[in-house]
Amino acid sequence: MKKDKLKIGIYELTGCAGCALLILDCENELVDIFQAADIQSFLMAKSDNIDGELDIALVEGSVSTEKDIEELMDIRKRAEIVVAIGLCSMVGGIQGRFCDEKEWKENFKKVYGDIEMTHTKPVQSKPIDAYIKVDYYLPGCPIGKEQFLNFFTRMLRGNPPERYPQPVCVECKYNENDCLLKKGILCLGPLTSGGCGAICINHNLPCVGCWGPVEGGNWISEYYLLKEKGFDDELIKNKMANFSGTKIAEVSEQLRK
Amino acid sequence: MKIVKLKKENLFPFLESLSKEADLWAPVQKYENKHSFQLIKDFSQIDLKYTRTILPPKKLFLPPTFNMFLATEQGYEEDFSHVTKKILFGIHPCDIHGLLILDRFFQHVFDDPYYSKARQNTLILGHSCWPDENCMCKSTNTHIIEEGYDLFFSELETAYLVWIGSSEGDDCIRIKPGIFDEDITDEDIQIYIKWHNERDKAFQVDINFIAMPDLMELKYENPLWEKLGDACLACGSCSNVCPTCNCYNVLDKPLLNKYASEIGRCWDACTLESYSEVAGGENFREKRAQRLKLWYTHKLQAYISKYGKPACVGCGRCASTCPVDINVQTVAKALEGKDMDTFWNRLSKEVTK
Ligand code: SF4
Ligand code: SF4
Ligand code: SF4
Ligand code: SF4
Ligand code: SF4
Repeated sequence: MKKDKLKIGIYELTGCAGCALLILDCENELVDIFQAADIQSFLMAKSDNIDGELDIALVEGSVSTEKDIEELMDIRKRAEIVVAIGLCSMVGGIQGRFCDEKEWKENFKKVYGDIEMTHTKPVQSKPIDAYIKVDYYLPGCPIGKEQFLNFFTRMLRGNPPERYPQPVCVECKYNENDCLLKKGILCLGPLTSGGCGAICINHNLPCVGCWGPVEGGNWISEYYLLKEKGFDDELIKNKMANFSGTKIAEVSEQLRK
Repeated sequence: MKIVKLKKENLFPFLESLSKEADLWAPVQKYENKHSFQLIKDFSQIDLKYTRTILPPKKLFLPPTFNMFLATEQGYEEDFSHVTKKILFGIHPCDIHGLLILDRFFQHVFDDPYYSKARQNTLILGHSCWPDENCMCKSTNTHIIEEGYDLFFSELETAYLVWIGSSEGDDCIRIKPGIFDEDITDEDIQIYIKWHNERDKAFQVDINFIAMPDLMELKYENPLWEKLGDACLACGSCSNVCPTCNCYNVLDKPLLNKYASEIGRCWDACTLESYSEVAGGENFREKRAQRLKLWYTHKLQAYISKYGKPACVGCGRCASTCPVDINVQTVAKALEGKDMDTFWNRLSKEVTK
């Protein structure tokens, strides 16, 4: 193996493993991926994993147990660059939806009762940047193939990755879809990170926000717009919260007023 | 300029013989009452009763995303795969004016080969239209067309009057000379004039565009812009659907298996937050209100001051697209000081209550 290959580790905390699977699903490029980089650790793909110094760590999943915290801290110590991949890692995931601690405790009790956890202790689900410094973010639920390959190749060349600050509406218009929101359907495209190719709207279904909140989304305006279109207050807030993790705590505060 | 007549039943046979030479693009219904220019395989798909397509014809010349070239260690390999021989049939006067405005942007000072090559390879066959409540082209004086087409079809009851606008247009007619009638009767002319007058009266919107540069100047610090900014969803749709918006972004897409990069290009929009961001993360127009000011400076001020006409061709797409009522019509009226029932006005009441 050539010495100058970047050492990369791919890790999964609490998530559905979809992002790691997406990387494995790049079937046509997989050989190139493994040839271009020195993949040190990738639990889903191989068994001879090494936990040493890394150039880049890709972290999927949110932090929802004490074991996750320890693992994440260890990754940060070993890696030059840490990248949060996917919704769970970026915002806490659907499991990070209840940003209010009291609400989270109640819900936890409802689901698990008084069960005693032996191997690790649960904590409220949070994005990884609640614990460590994150260098780059790659949105998606799961992340997209095109964005991942672009990101990966840029990193190999020593270039910073592209940022994706555009809402779903941009790709939606590229595809010449009829705007669902304009027609009175609850579409969260304007608040959601683009990159999926507006796939739901292409099939005449509204965006539910699964790629996570876009930077600079105008939540307040869309909230009142949806209210005006006749949607129920709770429904709007629930829809907005589903894929926003802890990142819309501020918005929730404003809307609570 | 020559004008000939074509019986309605001869239209499709004529298009059919033309489309042997090039891809025919025409309006088809994509959703209920929403149309799109599409590649025509079956002539029965063509719907000439449309008012406007969701995306303007610029998508045929500069697709929303495409690759410009492949950069390798040896140099560049240009990619003109979006350039094919095309016939664009059914385009309305406003959209032809839109293309003439794009010609200015992409051809007059520096030539953009990706635009020009596609433009040179496309025949423009225009078609007459009837306004709906969002059409503003009479106010922008783009409801009639004198240049920018190869053929223009004005629909009468049983026939078309066909204006020949270029030598390429003349060549088209010669493919099937027998079906065109050079003998236009007095009756035809009367029908045409009557249709024209009635159409003029059918416009429901009237905006004084020539006053707009001054109003933009006078109201540049007006609180109106904050209200618009509070409502705007920063979705970029207004730019994407506008036939005269021309901004784009360049993307570097490195290839994994060889030391090369595809250099791509995609439509950009000044209403998006990322538009004015520069290296180092500085953003010159962080606020939505500032970005909307830029958009409306472009449409209602800068171009009028320079060329004596607005960079808006009145197609009404912004009005039929923006989810929060921000469009040339409502903004122009607000600048004129008219109080309107728009989402941004209702929102400001909601938020302050
Ligand atoms: S349908 Fe949704 S994603 Fe598409 S433009 Fe409308 S709001 Fe945006
Ligand atoms: S829900 Fe929205 S972000 Fe998720 S795939 Fe569908 S359109 Fe894309
Ligand atoms: S600056 Fe804005 S308004 Fe002007 S062409 Fe670009 S996107 Fe359109
Ligand atoms: S500003 Fe609106 S009406 Fe004017 S050309 Fe653009 S989309 Fe059409
Ligand atoms: S003005 Fe309307 S269409 Fe344009 S970015 Fe704002 S919300 Fe979107």
